[in-house]
Amino acid sequence: MPPAKLDAEAMARRAAGFIAPGDVVAVDTGLPSLIPGVTPPELGAWFLRNDGMLNNLPLSLADAAAITRGGYVNLAIVNAAQVDAAGSFAGTVSAANPDRQPPANSVDLAAGSGRVIAMLSHTDDQGRPNIVEALSSPADGLRCVNAIITDIAVIEVNGGGLALSEVAPGWSVDDVRAQTDADLSIPPALREMDFSLPANAPPSKVYPDGPSAIADVPDGATVFIDGFGGPGGMAHYLLISLRDRGSRDLTIVSNTAGIARVVSFGTPPGRTAIDHSVLIENGQVAKAIASFPVSPSVSRPSEFELAYRRGEVDLELVPQGTLAERLRAGGAGIHAFYTPTGAGTLIAEGKESRNIDGRDYILEYGLRADFAIIRAHKADTNGNLVYRGTSRNFNAVMAPAARVTVVEVDEIVEAVQLDLEEVVTPGVFVQRIVKRPDGFTGYE
Amino acid sequence: MTFSKLYDTPATAVADIHDGATLLIGGTTRSGEPTALLAALLTIGVRDLTCICDFADWDGSEGILQLAQAERIARVISPFPFVGENGGVIHKQWRDGALAVEVIPQGTLAERLRAAGAGIGGVFTPVGLGTRLADGKETRTINGVECVLESPLRADFALIRADRADALGNLAYRGAQRGWNAVMAPAARITIAEVDTVGEPGAIDPELVITPGIYVNRVVYTPPTGDRG
Repeated sequence: MPPAKLDAEAMARRAAGFIAPGDVVAVDTGLPSLIPGVTPPELGAWFLRNDGMLNNLPLSLADAAAITRGGYVNLAIVNAAQVDAAGSFAGTVSAANPDRQPPANSVDLAAGSGRVIAMLSHTDDQGRPNIVEALSSPADGLRCVNAIITDIAVIEVNGGGLALSEVAPGWSVDDVRAQTDADLSIPPALREMDFSLPANAPPSKVYPDGPSAIADVPDGATVFIDGFGGPGGMAHYLLISLRDRGSRDLTIVSNTAGIARVVSFGTPPGRTAIDHSVLIENGQVAKAIASFPVSPSVSRPSEFELAYRRGEVDLELVPQGTLAERLRAGGAGIHAFYTPTGAGTLIAEGKESRNIDGRDYILEYGLRADFAIIRAHKADTNGNLVYRGTSRNFNAVMAPAARVTVVEVDEIVEAVQLDLEEVVTPGVFVQRIVKRPDGFTGYE
Repeated sequence: MTFSKLYDTPATAVADIHDGATLLIGGTTRSGEPTALLAALLTIGVRDLTCICDFADWDGSEGILQLAQAERIARVISPFPFVGENGGVIHKQWRDGALAVEVIPQGTLAERLRAAGAGIGGVFTPVGLGTRLADGKETRTINGVECVLESPLRADFALIRADRADALGNLAYRGAQRGWNAVMAPAARITIAEVDTVGEPGAIDPELVITPGIYVNRVVYTPPTGDRG
């Protein structure tokens, strides 16, 4: 007789062993909901729950789902009723109501996550196997499970089927096979489950200075540049750092293409405002995607305008709301959307038009970038950001849509010091933090 | 002239909810459910309601369960309409054919509500591909990823709950209250919020306002009763 099966907490501990430092982990209801309680806090994991809480950070469900769909989840742990040999799984609701019930919630977690782990009892209440050759109810996720944790085994799913990688203490391969309704291959590395947990911290997000934080921006990169028009909310220090680095052929995406220099916005006499113009003057920009690319003053054209007239730069003009929505879509895993903005105008040329319920829409696509350089007032060491006033506007919407988001802040505080209700950008969207040097201003 | 969105009682705030109305009901398990508004709705006797909510048949959602017990609900749209095979009244009514159920994954429900509130005509999302969720829906491959077209979901009324409001309807939440309430507020024709405290305009630090008052039509002050999350 094999020994008793693992209890739920032991299963949760084994699942926690899959978490790498700093991982974003989406935890389903049921068994996976126990994992945060057994994970060492030093690991710096971000647990996303289905009520919109990201650790202690309250999010709207639209923002929470954007984290999942947007590809920010390293590990999704679903509460499954059955898993089959192809790595498809059925959630508990689907399994209980196979005749009429469409898939339940875990499909969210199945889409867009790095790795998917299914947790379940190896057998059901009647002792029938839950690891099966083919599901007996419709799938919540098709061929998406990478590993299975049960109360007697850990099973890896690879293209060729299921491989038994770990057994619970005291359990033999034959014991596990006897309770499994799918072929299990036995790799040489088969071992007994280990419940020890790593507690190493993730690498710090705090960089010593601007140049080190943008040192890997390559030629040809797409870069989001934050800010609205004037000096507020613009990462001036990072802009100068990017100029000094000299990356070329950049596509910049921003509300303007640099108008602060030619529109005063309160620039002190004798000074020059730092904006996108520093990159354009330096010959680094190949293209701008912007809402307000030119100066409102005909007699004082912006650097971008002059370069455009010389044929040195390309321009894609995007209405402001559409720019924001394309950024939001890019960060939220929405690949395209229909918007009424611009329908029937020049903006619609070359785009799909569609009448939906009597209103004309055009199809616009999500926008992503290699880097975002943004500005916030405060960051904690986890990268959670607080803005001040209007500086929130494009910063908050750009942060999730770039592969690497670098933020310039006035102040960096310890993780426990921010009011979590005040955080606008969760740290999962922020990879690098730089403090703006004391005395640095938006003017040269 | 003072303009106020304050209503004296939950009953007056929900008085024009009609038979057959589609309702967004905020909250997750034990947090953020508009219990006073749901109780008032029960007393006015409207029927054939479509309820769009996170958890329906769940011991944290008494307000929805009471509506179901009184046979007021015709349709539930929810990621978690009931749990497993031993659900309660909603599961039973669904099995008996007295009530229709539509399951939508959380993230897709949130996105469809967001689209409705933001004037977006539809979104292409990768969620649900290959499952019954995609049945009958347009699909398209974008950037190499197969996506399904989801439509905006708009309601007649949203019943939501917040921690505090000002008289202009600006709202701030507490913890997980934010989850669904913040997504639902913009997605209904009439949004009604019950709140624990009400202040003068400006009483909430603008940096802490989550739902701008333009999305909120009515505010009801409902003093906390102790057991509400």
